[in-house]
Amino acid sequence: MVSQVKTGIYPNETAAHRAALRKRPRISETLIQGFLFFCGALSILVTLGIVYELGKESLLFFTRQQWEETNRTLVDAMNAEQTTFRMTETGMALSVDSSIRLRSEVMTVTDIRGDVVTVARAQQNTVAAPHESGVEIETSRRVTLAEFFTKTEWNPQIGKFGIWALVNATLMTSLTAVAVALPLGLCVAIYLSEYASARVRGVLKPLLEVLAAIPTVVYGYFALTFMTPLLRAIFGVNTVAIYNTASAGIVIGILILPLVSSMAEDSLSAVPQSLRQAAYALGATRLETAVKVVLPAALSGIAAAFIVAASRAIGETMVVAIAAGAGPAFTFNPFQAAETMTGHIVRISGGDLSYDSIDYNSIFAIGLMLFFITLGLNILSQRIVKRFREEYE
Amino acid sequence: MRRTFVVLFILVALVATACGPKATPTAAPVATEAPKATEAPKATDPTPATVVKPVEPQLLPEVNPLEVTGNVVTAGSSTVYPLAERMAERFYDEGFQGQITIDSIGSGAGYERFCKTGETDIANASRAIKDSEKEACAAIGRTPIEFRVGTDALAVVVSQQNTFVTDVTVEELALIFGNTATKWSDVRPEWPAENILRFIPGTDSGTFDYFVEHVFAKDKEPHLTAANTQLSEDDNVLAQGVLGSPYAVGYFGYAYYAENAGTLKALSLNGVVPTAETVEDNSYALARPLFLYSDAKIMQEKPQVAAYINFFLAYVNEEIVDVGYFPASETTLLAAQQAWVAAMQ
Repeated sequence: MVSQVKTGIYPNETAAHRAALRKRPRISETLIQGFLFFCGALSILVTLGIVYELGKESLLFFTRQQWEETNRTLVDAMNAEQTTFRMTETGMALSVDSSIRLRSEVMTVTDIRGDVVTVARAQQNTVAAPHESGVEIETSRRVTLAEFFTKTEWNPQIGKFGIWALVNATLMTSLTAVAVALPLGLCVAIYLSEYASARVRGVLKPLLEVLAAIPTVVYGYFALTFMTPLLRAIFGVNTVAIYNTASAGIVIGILILPLVSSMAEDSLSAVPQSLRQAAYALGATRLETAVKVVLPAALSGIAAAFIVAASRAIGETMVVAIAAGAGPAFTFNPFQAAETMTGHIVRISGGDLSYDSIDYNSIFAIGLMLFFITLGLNILSQRIVKRFREEYE
Repeated sequence: MRRTFVVLFILVALVATACGPKATPTAAPVATEAPKATEAPKATDPTPATVVKPVEPQLLPEVNPLEVTGNVVTAGSSTVYPLAERMAERFYDEGFQGQITIDSIGSGAGYERFCKTGETDIANASRAIKDSEKEACAAIGRTPIEFRVGTDALAVVVSQQNTFVTDVTVEELALIFGNTATKWSDVRPEWPAENILRFIPGTDSGTFDYFVEHVFAKDKEPHLTAANTQLSEDDNVLAQGVLGSPYAVGYFGYAYYAENAGTLKALSLNGVVPTAETVEDNSYALARPLFLYSDAKIMQEKPQVAAYINFFLAYVNEEIVDVGYFPASETTLLAAQQAWVAAMQ
């Protein structure tokens, strides 16, 4: 057969034909595409906005000098030159070299003898002015990054800003949660994907996912009124405090269980059937197939599931706010009360928090810290998925 | 068929979790809490709920907020503030068209505005007026008239399982809630060598400030750095915590204690048990009176001020327990009403 080279598909294609076949603009298609793009862009912009806001407020927290009331006032009126004054006897203790403020004038304390204070006047570009008696004395607080990351005591009201007290509590609850959810979730996933019949799986999987639909506040009270009494019955009332990280951690474990089991089950099911058949052909039992063949093949997906679940545990708020404790404490005892980062944010913002107060700014720094932890975990999860990815044709 | 099975399963699961805590013996305190709490108010002396009585109609003339015009300027105690706010809200709800300003600046500053600058019509205060302040008032031609509207009291509480503490001194309170003592035996040697578990109100609350002011001489540092301290703005969290151990101790507004008197035990301070009487006559150390102060001339010149105070005195006992304070006794309130009548003559 004689073949003739032609440019078009059809033998007798003309310019008119080609014009008719050209891609026609479909308005509805373009609109949908634009809308989808808009949705994606919006969520990214919102995330960026949150990060910007967190960063901005945290920057304020680390850079700005904050003023706190000492509950002390000036006893006698003082003129603009005077460098010693008497303050009222009760109130917070001042320290030498600290900055104090009376109205708008900043002073540096050079000496304290009882309630008589000697100061250097007109510091930090302020002007020395006379002050009448009864003027409030404020003291300054400034937070350094070094203090933030190295100290273990968190108490903004008295100028203690060691984030580790909160981070430690968050790690305690999250590790407990992962320790509960990891083995349980994996067992559930293996059962569902390798052992359960289609019928059983059809019932069990949605049921497990119902766990995810329970409001977390319910989990919180479940921890406080069920898990804590249970722990206290087992380990003794005087060993286990009423608010403790173990109880909150276990319940968060139950909370993230459906997340782990569901994602792990998905990745186990995605392992091709031919691998299982090959294992059976070599004489492997069902358990051997599941543990030695399917599980390693699905490792990347399972690892990702754990990390997503761990980030969820770290960010969990309501359960820890209710059951873990309401005072920052640096302790490794899971039966003691300790306040997590999220729990602290909730408690502090629950009061009549005034803007620009040190408490208010500190919660943004905690928020940013939380953000970096979960971001780090997400990056780690992506690395793991890439590293352990097994591809089957 | 299968769907009904699923629904049934969920229901069973929910019922099982709901019943769970009651079934376990450890949850017994939680389960027994409810019945005791209901009978408690009758057993204890100061029952905020029963003190609310209709005010005698003949003493105060009926106020119709709809007919009152003009503004009322008040300033003073942050403790009185929530109560004043509640009463002002009610005054508005019943038709008052003017403006009521309530500045929360502290009792002292409130007196200053009332007596020195004379810019307010009413001073809200959580302490009685001092002689120096009275003199300042006299200097600008004002004679302050006192209207007692209630009492704010703190209850220091332990669990009823706690058998060793019943009475403490204020100095011991500073030890119990301070950073020097960790164990009960550090406070009194005969008390058990167990950790003190502290449950205190959050730092934003007036209750915390008041406690720091009276027990810790205004220095919050020892209070906040005490070991095993849990803070919460939610009284319920504190009560739960105190109930959780015989070695726990906490404090909050008396009104909240009264609701939970069946399970908690309020300590007496310097031998004075907090009751309606001891709280009102100031013999209980952690109580403070709530006052409004005004002047006869202002009340006569500005009928809206008189109407507001009249309204306040007439209905305060219907609102005060809700706000969290102790209602004034009938005789005290009657005296305040008589003072109002006398001022208007």
